[in-house]
Amino acid sequence: MVLEATMICIDNSEWMRNGDYGPSRFQAQADAVNLICGAKTQSNPENTVGVLTMAGKGVRVLVTPTSDLGKILACMHGLEIGGEMNLAAGIQVAQLALKHRQNKKQQQRIIVFAGSPVKHEKKTLEMIGKKLKKNSVTLDIVNFGEDDEGKTEKLEALLAAVNNNDTSHIVHIPAGPNALSDVLLSTPIFTGDGEGGSGFAASAAAAAAGGISGFEFGVDPNLDPELALALRVSMEEERARQEAAAKKAAEESSKQEKGGEEQDATMTECASEGASEADNKKNEFLQALAMSMDEPASSHDLQDTEMSDAATEDPELALALQLSVQDSAKDSSSQSDMSKLLADQSFVSSILASLPGVDPNDPSVKEVLASMQSQSEPQQKQDEDKAPKEEDKK
Amino acid sequence: MACTHDHSCEDHDCSSNWSLYKHIDLAKVTALNEANPGSVKSVFKAWEERLNSSRERLESNEGDPELLVYIPFTSDVKIKSISVVGGADGTSPSKLRVFINREGIDFSDAQSMQPVQEWELVENLQGVLEYQTRYSKFQSVANITLHFPESFGGDTTQIHYIGFKGEATQLKRDVVATIVYEITPNPSDHKTRAETGGGLSHVE
Repeated sequence: MVLEATMICIDNSEWMRNGDYGPSRFQAQADAVNLICGAKTQSNPENTVGVLTMAGKGVRVLVTPTSDLGKILACMHGLEIGGEMNLAAGIQVAQLALKHRQNKKQQQRIIVFAGSPVKHEKKTLEMIGKKLKKNSVTLDIVNFGEDDEGKTEKLEALLAAVNNNDTSHIVHIPAGPNALSDVLLSTPIFTGDGEGGSGFAASAAAAAAGGISGFEFGVDPNLDPELALALRVSMEEERARQEAAAKKAAEESSKQEKGGEEQDATMTECASEGASEADNKKNEFLQALAMSMDEPASSHDLQDTEMSDAATEDPELALALQLSVQDSAKDSSSQSDMSKLLADQSFVSSILASLPGVDPNDPSVKEVLASMQSQSEPQQKQDEDKAPKEEDKK
Repeated sequence: MACTHDHSCEDHDCSSNWSLYKHIDLAKVTALNEANPGSVKSVFKAWEERLNSSRERLESNEGDPELLVYIPFTSDVKIKSISVVGGADGTSPSKLRVFINREGIDFSDAQSMQPVQEWELVENLQGVLEYQTRYSKFQSVANITLHFPESFGGDTTQIHYIGFKGEATQLKRDVVATIVYEITPNPSDHKTRAETGGGLSHVE
């Protein structure tokens, strides 16, 4: 998201009539320029882009740095091809145009499309590069088209003179089936120095490849950049949060063997956590993301917090929820307790006897009892059945 | 530790005089032609630490001793004098030209513009020399740009410390941000009270 003012230097010399790139070299260049303008304006709305031509009758500035994309696209129409490219003059005029930018806080950047042979000496280019570096202007070079002896060498020397901490780049694009702009998308010129316009680049690359939407989060950054940005930011925050939760879960799993007491402690912790977090949409969204990310360790906590969230207003409800959660967690243990109780026949019969209208001797009741005790040993059951029967009979 | 005053220094602490560094907006300090981006911030420190070069120092690029340092302050200051500690072996700056309250100056501007004041510097490795300003011109300084055009023959220019002596006021200089110019006035923009129906006067 660097605040930048960019000047794009276009090569509209005779060599651009060649058709080895796209429909023609010039057309491929124009597409690339459009993409760059879009990417720059999107990564930061205050970025400005300007365009100048290096060939023709002389170096001519078509549009001074502006954030108005329409103006830039309009000026690309009706450009004539002819003449020879003057790289040195082009860069110097670009530097001058950047010097007079309106917002002095913007970083200065020049992007040069070098498609025709370079007639300057290496020394001249190196001096220009040094001057750019001194005034902290960064330079990106797109080397395509003609490749005569020394051109690559000269451009590399120019880059070496300008480069300060890897902020300037050079890209060599040979003629091939892929369009110029597609190849450029994957280069650091588009992706910027950091994550920059990576979202834009990724989506544009996906669209260009003709595949299905490979957008992050399923949202097209072109259609809704704010939403895409919000999703990206919340994703990073969630990752950080999950790391913290994973740490806590690791601690919890070591504690879980100690028994229910500890579970109570963690659950109350979760409840208090939920209470402290404000109940808002963002929270639910983060939880939804986390659950979809399928992290079992943290999802347990999240479920607890979710319920606690709902219950923050009503302390009684919170207590009830806690108890029910405890019960569900303790299910296995409680079930075994229940079956033990049922196995104790005397206890069951005493309960049944106290119930009005129920005769323990009733065969249907006995059948139910027998089915309930399916877990206990059958012999033991029968013995116990017989014993109370005889007692009753007495 | 010798000072430039004519009394001995043990009576008072010199460092309190050189405390304007506290009013520098360090985050917005920039320099042109520095070898390591960001190293310029290390030259603004307390008086006692001016000879302490264990941290980074400001160095210009190889083979080019010119340096341009832009320093904004957090409030308007009055600058009485400036002190500069350079490097050894001819890497000290030999000249200093300053510009006041101008932003976005680059080398071509600095070389062509008339500075507010300029000095011939000497090698000041112990940090005992200070250069007095024409105080009347440095009364309300919101930002200052220091231009060091040459060194004493070294390949690069090194600066270990830059100090300012003076006072800080609590004021902040406000720049007019946007101005709209009218070539021809548009009457709808300038409705008077009478036209909008306000006011007490009636015509009966």
